[in-house]
Amino acid sequence: MSYGFTRSRRQALKAGTIGLATLCLCMLTTRVSAQQPQPDPAGIATGDRTTAMDAAGNPFVPPEPTDMADPDYAAKKKAFNDYQAQAVKEPLAVKLADSVGHVRVATNVGWTLNTGYLVLFMQAGFALLTCGLIRKKNAAHLMMLNFAAYVFAFLAYYAVGYAFQFGAIAINAAPMNLGGTPTLNKFLIGGGQWGWLGGKGFFMTGPAYDAGSNTLALFEVVFMETAGYIIVGAICERITFWSFILCELFIGAFLYPIFGCWVWGGGWMSQLGSSLHLGHGYVDFAGSTVVHAVGGFTAMALAVILGPRLGKYGADGTPRAFPAHNLTFVVVGTFILLFGWMGFNPGSTLGATDLRISVIAVNTNLAAIAGSATAMILWYLKFGKPDITMACNGMLAGLVAITAPCAFVGPTAALVIGVLAGVLVCAGVLFNERVIKVDDPCGAISVHGYCGWLGGVSLGIFADGTYGAGWNGVGATTYLGKAGLGVTGLLHGDASQFLIQLGGATLCAVYAFGATYVVFKFVNGIIPMRVSKETELEGLDIPEFGMEAYPEGDVSAA
Amino acid sequence: MKRIEAVIRPNKLDEVKDALAALGVTGLTAVEARGFGRQKGHTEVYRGAEYHVEFVPKMLVIAVVADNLVEAAVDAVLEAARTGVIGDGKIFVTALQDVIRIRTGEHQAV
Repeated sequence: MSYGFTRSRRQALKAGTIGLATLCLCMLTTRVSAQQPQPDPAGIATGDRTTAMDAAGNPFVPPEPTDMADPDYAAKKKAFNDYQAQAVKEPLAVKLADSVGHVRVATNVGWTLNTGYLVLFMQAGFALLTCGLIRKKNAAHLMMLNFAAYVFAFLAYYAVGYAFQFGAIAINAAPMNLGGTPTLNKFLIGGGQWGWLGGKGFFMTGPAYDAGSNTLALFEVVFMETAGYIIVGAICERITFWSFILCELFIGAFLYPIFGCWVWGGGWMSQLGSSLHLGHGYVDFAGSTVVHAVGGFTAMALAVILGPRLGKYGADGTPRAFPAHNLTFVVVGTFILLFGWMGFNPGSTLGATDLRISVIAVNTNLAAIAGSATAMILWYLKFGKPDITMACNGMLAGLVAITAPCAFVGPTAALVIGVLAGVLVCAGVLFNERVIKVDDPCGAISVHGYCGWLGGVSLGIFADGTYGAGWNGVGATTYLGKAGLGVTGLLHGDASQFLIQLGGATLCAVYAFGATYVVFKFVNGIIPMRVSKETELEGLDIPEFGMEAYPEGDVSAA
Repeated sequence: MKRIEAVIRPNKLDEVKDALAALGVTGLTAVEARGFGRQKGHTEVYRGAEYHVEFVPKMLVIAVVADNLVEAAVDAVLEAARTGVIGDGKIFVTALQDVIRIRTGEHQAV
């Protein structure tokens, strides 16, 4: 049936439709690619005269003003035109400015990558620490959990996690030290000051196949890994390998990046200073809450679902001790974690050009030693002898608690925060063990969960305003009436910052515990995540992997 | 005096110790051991090579008891150490010539 059209007219119509569709498509893609910034995989277009600036962050090149409604538009336009005129007269100066801008970004890329490698090494430290704290018969299994955590969480983060967390970072939180990553500029859910999930850079390709983005990605993936392996400390000695892999995929793909987007990816929590006038928005410098509290409260939810180890609690509820099988590992592991933290905290400036890294490094150490000393003294007073494992946990507690405020406080506050963490971790361990009876073999819930929350809140108490002017886009020139005032806490006059910190840190705990509990209670209902009783009594090494950590001869070839 | 040697599962040590202590047997020696009876070992693969593990970790518990306590002690160990699954172990009862306490030099010091 031809419906009255002749064959040639039908052909013409077909050709015309195809032609029009092609034209539209071309126009659309041309429009889209012309509007979008281009990724820079070779790193040659990142860092130029526009990134050359002084120590305070004032750029060498005034930016071209685009907002005609701006009251300062005329002055800005004149400054830009004057610069353009001068640039024509001094071509060598412009070339030098390009070089300086590039070297500045290069310095910071080198810094960020190297501190990222230090954080990667923390993986080994945590593996040693937790292995030493558990029983010999489960040592190989735990080592494999730590190892597989890195592998599978990375896969999940590579696929979707990074895009969810940082796909929109250029909108509200562009990492200027690394050249800005302009290609990561889209929220998948939300937008403007109410972003919920990023939407660019899936599979770390396309807009993420870029030098600046890769720098950020390397640094951020090892932070995600930290949250991923924290759970091992609470779920070891009784979890099946397959369900553990599911946990890691969940953390890497969804749990960590979602909250991470809200706080570090330019999402809604970071913008509460602009949107609701709550201080500088929710602030967490290196991740007391984003990394450690997420890991710690996820661990808590999983530990509750799994239940305590067999024999841990007697019939009357008295806890039984399962002593560490290798204290050497525990101490060496703790030192490696301390060393790695020198990357974790100072690295979070994403730049060596930010000399606050020195203060951060010292604050980190002060909190570490204060936490450890406090734990040793408290335990000695309560039980008559300092406990080696609590001394180590105390140091880690101090490190976790200082992670959020490290850039914003002075040395005295850092020491105090360490002491508070030392107290909290001791109380937390005893509380988990004796009161709520949640079996946490390595203290992960207390060290990372409780002290992570403490870190988020401490920032709201102790931040002294000497750093962070313009954080999250708030108070770039003046804050609370003072020029150049940075992130400030309750003790220095900013109650709103304390409130947002308290709320945000608590939200983190509720979110991590709640989401994990809901998802894995469901999973556990379908197939139990815990090993069988026989396996648990024998030790997980052979049943799950067919290998022992410490085979004692007696192995004969078949 | 009799020597009671029990080869038991390692996770049963605390139960056996408590069971014997309840009877008044306060001295014990525990030795980490590996052994097998009818409990088969298992075959594993290590980097491409098969190997057979026959020896299973066990605990060897040694207690010296007075003659009048032997039967009760054996029953206590049986009850504490039994799971019903192959691999529960065995108890050996042997007669002792003498028991001397080193600190005081007393003989027949059960």
